[in-house]
Amino acid sequence: MNEFIPLMVIIPIACALLLNLFHKKDKTVILMGIIVAIVLPIIPLIANYGLHYFGGHAPLITNSTLLSTLPSTIQNSALALFHPAVTYSYGALQKIFIFILGIIAFFAIFNSLSQNKKVSGPLMFLMFMGTAAVTAILLSDDIFHMYIFFEISALTQTGIILTSKTENNYETALKYMILGSIGGPLLLLGIGFVLGAVGSVNITDIVYAISHNLVDPLSPTLLFAFGLIFFGWLYTSGLPPFHTIKSGVYSKALPNASVLLQAFTVIIFIAIGIAIFRIFSYLPFFKTLIVVFSLIAMVLGVTMAIMQTDFRRMIAFLAVGELGYIGLGFGLATKLSITAGLFQAVNELVITALLFIGFGTILYLTKISDTRKLGGMIQHNSIVAIMVLIGGFAMAGVPPLNGFQSKLMIIQASLQSGFPEISIIAILVSIVTFMVFMKAYHSIYLKPKPNDLVGADKLVPRSSIAAIAILLIICIVLGLFPHLVTDNISQFAMGLI
Amino acid sequence: MGYYDRIVYSLRNVTNIKGKLKRDPTTNESVSSALAAELTIISTLLIASLLLRHINIVLTIVVILGLGLILVTNMPIIPKLKREQSDSLEKMTFYAILTLGILITLIYWGTTNV
Repeated sequence: MNEFIPLMVIIPIACALLLNLFHKKDKTVILMGIIVAIVLPIIPLIANYGLHYFGGHAPLITNSTLLSTLPSTIQNSALALFHPAVTYSYGALQKIFIFILGIIAFFAIFNSLSQNKKVSGPLMFLMFMGTAAVTAILLSDDIFHMYIFFEISALTQTGIILTSKTENNYETALKYMILGSIGGPLLLLGIGFVLGAVGSVNITDIVYAISHNLVDPLSPTLLFAFGLIFFGWLYTSGLPPFHTIKSGVYSKALPNASVLLQAFTVIIFIAIGIAIFRIFSYLPFFKTLIVVFSLIAMVLGVTMAIMQTDFRRMIAFLAVGELGYIGLGFGLATKLSITAGLFQAVNELVITALLFIGFGTILYLTKISDTRKLGGMIQHNSIVAIMVLIGGFAMAGVPPLNGFQSKLMIIQASLQSGFPEISIIAILVSIVTFMVFMKAYHSIYLKPKPNDLVGADKLVPRSSIAAIAILLIICIVLGLFPHLVTDNISQFAMGLI
Repeated sequence: MGYYDRIVYSLRNVTNIKGKLKRDPTTNESVSSALAAELTIISTLLIASLLLRHINIVLTIVVILGLGLILVTNMPIIPKLKREQSDSLEKMTFYAILTLGILITLIYWGTTNV
């Protein structure tokens, strides 16, 4: 047993609760926030791979003394293999994603603390609680436990929008909650059907029961459960038809908070996506459904992004569209495609964070996010402008950056799977992504500066410059040495299929 | 009936593109963006329908010809699509429930009756 595994969730939760207690004691909040934010990416690096059973309740099969005292009907049944406790599984994939989440959470929290004159205890509470929730979702091998933490993360996301004090933020938060009241309960209902059919909510147990025909894999209960859980997954990850509200959520939060919100979405997307893949990938239409929704997300994401005039909404729609590439990885369901999809998820976490922080500096300086009212910002800080430009290139898939490597892998995977049409669409979407980014970049940085543009006399915060530079270095390193991530991911992908 | 009326109203509203353009100043940037989006949506839909060849070649030809005709006769598509993809809660709820209906129908009856 590795005690560091639950600590990845417990530490941010404890910090969140303490920060709430110390609300209005600014120095304590800042100190505690920064210390825990530094600790977050360190824990996954020092933790060993393994399983953690809450309460120490391991499966009976691991305790032969106890098992021998039980009736033979239990000894010889699947009950001996089932997991009685909530189980956390920590492997190479979790390590990569929790580490990246830790870095992004650190930058989001640090920037938020350094840029706001008044420290917000509730915002810090929400950021840490959200980070803890998505970490738990990533670690958990229990689909009900995942649902509980997803709901916590949805509430924290709503809270983050509410604390952002942007225009119409209350309206967007309320809409997200109302739509959540459709998606969330249906996801829970689907989980309930699975529990009813299998008798367990542990994903390993469910997979065992289905693969060993302990339940009919094509029973109406499981089919209905799949439909509901899949729909819930669309809601949790912001795939169509929930892409509009998800992009609204990103654009209504302050840029530093949006960095965390998009990270939450990507991690929930892959964590629940992997769970669904493990349980339901035997269904004949499973892959088709994922491919269809991913393609719709990609196309709607870029076409809606290019029509926007608010740069926050542009990046938000692009972020939603990029989720489609990750989905394609799951949908094509080969070792290469899943590796590519998960690598794309890592890249999206880093690149979108870079762009939100990068463009966020413009909002910080001018308080304007309408690209029609901006211009000439390259004069203000050309280094930041160039770093944002390279970040945009990474998102569009320009070589030799990380986005290029993952998108190329997805295109290769679709070609190998016999779907050249998907490759062509992926390339087309990449080209339009480049166009969207260049449109935003030109409007903000290169166009002549409007006479009435004020606020450009302030300096870009050093914390933002440092965050952008470090995230850019990660983009370049992963672009030049993709095997740093893909080697570990491909082992996981092999196990998944 | 409230929802039905709203859908009809939103579809009627789509035809009032000139009114919308009057409120939104047209620039080179917005026109080229709309054109790029229009071309993207048409080309990706047609390319995606090619995937139907894995099911049936004749079906693919029929769908592509039909889709091509519908898309060309309904241009410009993007303003209509943008209106449907707005932040309106009614529209978002409508599409969410529509997707759920299609999904459950396909998964449940599509498998049990094949």
